[in-house]
Amino acid sequence: MADNNSINTFEKEAEEMTVMRVITSKDKFERTAGGFVNLTFEGVKYERVKIVRLFPFTDENKYISVRENTDKAREIGIIEDMDSFDDETREIISEQLRLNYFTPVIKKIMSIKDEYGYAYFHVMTDKGECNFAINMASNAVTKLSDSRLIIMDLDENRFEIRDVNALTQKERRKLDLFL
Amino acid sequence: MILKYDISPKISEKIPLSEDERIYYAIPYDIDKNGNWIRGAYLFVTTKKIHIFDGETITETMEINRCSKAKAEAKVGGGILVVTCDGEEKVAVHYSAKHLSRYAYIARGINILISGRFEEVESSEYEKMCPKCGRAVPGTKNCPKCSKEGGFLKEFLGMAKPYKKDFFGVFILMVLAAITTLLNPEIQKHLINDVLKGGGGMKQALVLLSIMFSLSVGIVIVNFFKSNASTKLGAKISADLRMALFKKYQALPLSFINDRRPGELLNRITQDTTFIREFMEDVFCNLFAVLFIFIWDIIFMMVLNLKLALLTFVTVPLVVFLIIGFRKVVYRIFHLQFRKNDDVSSDLQDVISGMRVVKTYGREEEEANRFKALSAEFARTQRKNESFWGIFYPMISFLMGMGVVVVVYFGGRDVFGDKMSAGELYQFITYTALLFQYINWMSWLPRELTVLTSSLERINDILSQEIEEKDEDSMVDLTIEGEITFDHATFGYKSYQPVLEDINVVIKPGEMIGIVGASGTGKSTLINLLMGLYEVDDGHLLIDKTDIKNIDSKSYHSQLGVVLQETFLFSGTILDNIRFSRPDATYEEIVKAAKMANAHDFICQTPDGYNTYVGEKGYTLSGGERQRVAIARAILTNPRLLILDEATASLDTESEFMIQKALERLTEGKTTFAIAHRLSTLRKADRIMVIDGHSIAEIGTHEELLNSKGIYYNLYKAQIG
Repeated sequence: MADNNSINTFEKEAEEMTVMRVITSKDKFERTAGGFVNLTFEGVKYERVKIVRLFPFTDENKYISVRENTDKAREIGIIEDMDSFDDETREIISEQLRLNYFTPVIKKIMSIKDEYGYAYFHVMTDKGECNFAINMASNAVTKLSDSRLIIMDLDENRFEIRDVNALTQKERRKLDLFL
Repeated sequence: MILKYDISPKISEKIPLSEDERIYYAIPYDIDKNGNWIRGAYLFVTTKKIHIFDGETITETMEINRCSKAKAEAKVGGGILVVTCDGEEKVAVHYSAKHLSRYAYIARGINILISGRFEEVESSEYEKMCPKCGRAVPGTKNCPKCSKEGGFLKEFLGMAKPYKKDFFGVFILMVLAAITTLLNPEIQKHLINDVLKGGGGMKQALVLLSIMFSLSVGIVIVNFFKSNASTKLGAKISADLRMALFKKYQALPLSFINDRRPGELLNRITQDTTFIREFMEDVFCNLFAVLFIFIWDIIFMMVLNLKLALLTFVTVPLVVFLIIGFRKVVYRIFHLQFRKNDDVSSDLQDVISGMRVVKTYGREEEEANRFKALSAEFARTQRKNESFWGIFYPMISFLMGMGVVVVVYFGGRDVFGDKMSAGELYQFITYTALLFQYINWMSWLPRELTVLTSSLERINDILSQEIEEKDEDSMVDLTIEGEITFDHATFGYKSYQPVLEDINVVIKPGEMIGIVGASGTGKSTLINLLMGLYEVDDGHLLIDKTDIKNIDSKSYHSQLGVVLQETFLFSGTILDNIRFSRPDATYEEIVKAAKMANAHDFICQTPDGYNTYVGEKGYTLSGGERQRVAIARAILTNPRLLILDEATASLDTESEFMIQKALERLTEGKTTFAIAHRLSTLRKADRIMVIDGHSIAEIGTHEELLNSKGIYYNLYKAQIG
């Protein structure tokens, strides 16, 4: 009998992975004093849950996985759409997303200076003004689509340009070298 | 890496410090509570408190004796420092990826303080950006631009010192080249003035012409010797540096190599030394000659006609400006073309290697359309660039020759006004042309020098690494019996991340130990310690009661046999590869070892037997065959200690059986450590060690572990049922 139990543990685990649970506005998110969030889902309270975007580039506010704060990080459930929550819950979840994802979006390119293999950017982002440098020899720029770019700097910070065509002609010329 | 930034007195006076309290760490954090960039904000760690300073005031203070844990958690594009205070996990600060590794050290430092000790954590990692000038640092300790000890001249002289004689030879040849180059226009002037205009005789003309001829021949000869000498010198220097680097790589501890990307280390040997050679060949061999000619050129011009010379110099900045501007444009458009070309070829490669998938899903047409678009785009850029080149290049060369036009116009007027002879004008024009030619050459110089300095910095960075010298006298040659003792052994690849903690176990001689556990728990690390690739941070690893640190590594490794999951065969014959462990083995011994390893038969099937060339470009052996070569290699040394790291993991059942048999012969009576995921391969093991959570979770015989119904029991049941 005992033997069957142990096979069942693994089988159960494998089986459980296939289940799709949806977190709805009935489930309760609460801020912790330390700046994290707890979730009560189907009567069980999970402390300090992890919040993971499934489609961070194509749909950042839909399909968000909420996971246990353990090494295995088992999935508790999926939020299908952030908009289905009330303002306060949305703010609580957004706070966590801001902690977990930091990808400033470049709004304006002030200058790009290239010097011996490195390019130095001075830009305005949605998170404020900043400077960063990329290595021109490596693949610092990833094209998500024809007009959407992710730039990875030397420290592995990520910067996004949502639409290259929305930049001015002058800014585009500066950027051309690196595309 | 800096863990204690210099803080302005204005800020530091805001940090309250009690009598015996000191600031240990001061590091910036760059993201505020709303997720925006912030400047001037710091986290201070004193011996008693953690302060968070937002640029204006201290917003939060945590007392270390009320905290229980600090952890730096890496997130996407940044990270957070989580401090557990009064039992509550708390986000202390949020920072971008720039400070990720810095905070990993800080978390460790805080944990040390929490545990009541007062050691200060230091980091040997290098900064990626120069904290002084904000430039990227090319993988070295100091910024090549700012470091006082560095500097181009010093680096270069340091490199050149052993080659004084060769450098002197090249220098003399350069001066000779300069003199011959400068003399030619002077003779031409005489030809025009004295012979053509002054009506000198045929005899004088012939004398002048023959001087001109010998000068031209002289230039060719001097240049030949000059390039030859500097090419030789460059090759010599780069070969010596390559060798020095290679020796250093082998002498450096593995942890140094692991801290750096393999490509980077490879580049230092191949690219950086090549760059030095190219610099010697292309730049240095002309450097002094050009400077020498340049200065005399200017002097001659001024002596010939001061007014005209000054007029010419006025155009110099304009020409330099044009050259640099033009170069930028050319770089831009051709860089773009190069990128597009890259797109086309990588797409092509994608489709061709994925052809099976494309065909099975019937996506040929879509792929063709995508490729067509890319290809058309590339063709368009190419066409545009070529027409740009066609139209603008002649214009630019005309503009660059502007100086000569100015000279011809004003000089011509002087000749008509009898202020200058025709010969002098001709001579002057030649000097002007030389001047612009060398300005073009010199405009490349700053770039070349910077790249050279970076290369030299990177090379010196390795060469100046200090290696811990071992006391030769205390080293012992040991004939291994096979008793292994782990005594409170603790180890981590990074000092702040222990992989193995407090391992205690004694293994009897001849015992076979099976090691199991999930990936990433430290199984391979345990084996790396046994192989002597790393040293334990705390505690001891004893071989026959002698600390492994005191055993001569050559003698130790000669008694070690290793078969890893993926066998690496060097480029060479099967014979070379088997013999690698013992180069003096006879044919008989090799064939015997191969037979023991069940390798002899497949070797006989290969076209050239034991002389079959294998390796990257040679005959391809299957995974199982490679494994058997490795076993033969191990058998040959008759090792006292055997290490098998997933030796049979990636094999089909038949080869697994063959190898299992070969391994059984090999491990007979020897202390053996075998890592395995498939527990069936461990059925011969005397004891099984389960590693979980950085330490030994369970150890005992197969039956004992099954009876205790722990991790091993669950694994076994899941695999075998």
